[in-house]
Amino acid sequence: MDLGVAQNWFFLVIGLVMVAASLVVVTSRNVMHAALMLVATLGGSAALFVLLGAEFVAGVVVLVYIGAVIVLFLFGVMITRVEIGRGSSLDHANPWPAAAIAIATFAVLAGSAVAFFGDAEVDGVAAVRTSDIGTSIFDRFVVPFEVVSFVLLAALIGSIVLARKDPES
Amino acid sequence: MFDYHALAPDFIVAGTVLAVLGADLFLPRERKWLAAVVGILGLTVALIPIVTLAASDDSVRSMMDGSYVIDDFALVLKAFFILTGYIVLLMSVAYVEADRYYQGEYYFLVLASLLGGMVMASSRDLISLFVGLELVSGPAFLLAGWKKADARSNEAALKFFIIGVLSAAILLYGMSLVYGMTGSLSFDGIREASASVAEEPVFVLGILLVLVGFGFKVSAVPFHFWAPDTYEGAPTPVTAYLSVGSKAAGFVGILLVSYVAFAGAPEIWGPALWILAALSMIVGNLIALRQENIVRLLAYSSIAHAGFMLVPFAAAALVEGDSLNQAFEATVTYVLIYGIMNLGAFAVVIAAARRTGSGQIRDWSGLGSYAPGISILLTLFFFSLAGIPPLAGWYAKFVMFLAVLQNANGWTIALAAIAALNAVIALYYYARVVQSVWMDPAPDEVAPDPEPSGVAPSLGLAFGMLAVAVIVVGVFPEAVGQFAKAASAIAGG
Amino acid sequence: MTLAQFLVLSAALFSIGIYGVLIRRNAVLVLLSVELMLAAVNINFVAFGRYFADSTAGGQVFALFVVTVAAAEVGIGLAIVLLIFRNRASANIDELDVLKW
Repeated sequence: MDLGVAQNWFFLVIGLVMVAASLVVVTSRNVMHAALMLVATLGGSAALFVLLGAEFVAGVVVLVYIGAVIVLFLFGVMITRVEIGRGSSLDHANPWPAAAIAIATFAVLAGSAVAFFGDAEVDGVAAVRTSDIGTSIFDRFVVPFEVVSFVLLAALIGSIVLARKDPES
Repeated sequence: MFDYHALAPDFIVAGTVLAVLGADLFLPRERKWLAAVVGILGLTVALIPIVTLAASDDSVRSMMDGSYVIDDFALVLKAFFILTGYIVLLMSVAYVEADRYYQGEYYFLVLASLLGGMVMASSRDLISLFVGLELVSGPAFLLAGWKKADARSNEAALKFFIIGVLSAAILLYGMSLVYGMTGSLSFDGIREASASVAEEPVFVLGILLVLVGFGFKVSAVPFHFWAPDTYEGAPTPVTAYLSVGSKAAGFVGILLVSYVAFAGAPEIWGPALWILAALSMIVGNLIALRQENIVRLLAYSSIAHAGFMLVPFAAAALVEGDSLNQAFEATVTYVLIYGIMNLGAFAVVIAAARRTGSGQIRDWSGLGSYAPGISILLTLFFFSLAGIPPLAGWYAKFVMFLAVLQNANGWTIALAAIAALNAVIALYYYARVVQSVWMDPAPDEVAPDPEPSGVAPSLGLAFGMLAVAVIVVGVFPEAVGQFAKAASAIAGG
Repeated sequence: MTLAQFLVLSAALFSIGIYGVLIRRNAVLVLLSVELMLAAVNINFVAFGRYFADSTAGGQVFALFVVTVAAAEVGIGLAIVLLIFRNRASANIDELDVLKW
């Protein structure tokens, strides 16, 4: 990574914030903090998408994830009254096997990616324009686009049925 | 660009999904079963374009730059999903009416999930495959929790859901690595580009993560642990759907990625699937031996059957050319026949559990003396699952062994030996249930029959169709064999 | 910017997500960890899409589909958690002990 380039400084700052925030997500004893730190991680990923010239995806992540999904999470946390504040029963007792698996996964994934891609640059080429994404979705990927609407409809109807309080009979 | 004839089956089922939801709005509470009738009519209509497409001259109809294709494989699997939907709806009508379920939404979700399977069968790129898979699993998570007041059903849904989203995340990470190594999302593009990167660790990791993701979906050992709990807790017709429709969807995914997208790298997925196949057969069957609950027994048996279905993959990987088609054909044959007999077994569970009021095998002792009809059907489907001729199951195992031994070497013979041993173990626990039903004495007080007129007519219809299919396919295996053969044309690209 | 730096970051997020899935007992927290894994997936797709200058924008389109499907899944998951909470006032997956492993 060449630190003479301004973009790399941005990347470094965003990346460190994301890793730190995601570590809080998985270790925090406070469910509310965990959910809010997920906002920071996802916000960081949106910033990375801007760096990569994917402004539309960045916008969708901010609107859908941070705007809707996280709000849903916060509702879930509050409605189910998962111990907000300090809870002792949120984690398994022994973190080391999980940590070993996670570190091994990271070593394998990151090591093999660095070994293969080396210092291949991503910023040499023109970014995709948002209109290209639109054309692509409504042309080549129109079938999954229609299918995903059924996924959302099924999730909506089914979730209402499961979550609603049944009328007494 | 759109070939509406080719898309007609999917469009009709999609329309049926919405029609069922619409019908549910207007149906009064005591007539909700009519929503299932709407669904069944829609599925019947959807079979018409499948027949006309199969009869038409163009054997392959390709759309959206080859990312959505109607070929023989897609048609055979679409027909399979539609017929599975048929049977599952028939099995469900009396079951969901007997209790306080949300019926209209139930049928809607079953059909939506089936639509996902139909989309997967036509998908020839990673995005369609992933979205189709999510349409299969999303409604399935919800259906597993449909017995809202039952804590077991709630847990079944949560466990299934957590495993489902975790496997989706792993699958997606694998897909992203595959995309990164080949620069393509379409299976054709991946296959062409994979020749130059087949040795690279990143590509290998991508393939393995994709297989892990699908391994969860087909409940192959060691990714199986959610299945028994989910199967036991979910409403029984949903369990039947999970063990057949949802599992077949997982196999559609594995078949497509292995034999089409990664056709250039069988030396990567072959050994990995060898291990999954061997572990699934051994672990599934050994644990099934100890089960006291009939649904858990069938859950472990379905894990073992997933192992049998994976066996031909290991053989295909070892040799080039023809064997690829033959192994593909063997797995498709197994999936189709397993679908018939496993749906039958679960239909028996629904009827017998209603008759005896219990899902424990010991409470079924002597069932033959007071419910001979159900017991005969039980014998039929369980012996078919065990692979006893002349019932359909023998042919599934026969083509599986044929595909493996055709290209015999040390590894395939070892796997065939494991499979043969497991076929014997499986025979033992299936026969134990049958023996208990016929030979053991009935309890002193037999519970009064809740339905003196026999099983519900819709369930009876499902029984009739499945029993005929199990016998006809067993006697004339070509009835399934020729479809599997036609479907295998896509193997190797 | 090199491609590898994005891949290392995404590998880190994915591994942290796996750690969370393994260590957390609470269903909502497990779901949060899975969201981290999906964020890693999206970074991969967008970075690779830029790297290949994919003319069909495949990487970005896939990321959009992942976001959409994840939203549907979170809805389903929270409905199930809510259902369980109604019935037994706990969202910890370990306390689900009616069905043994």
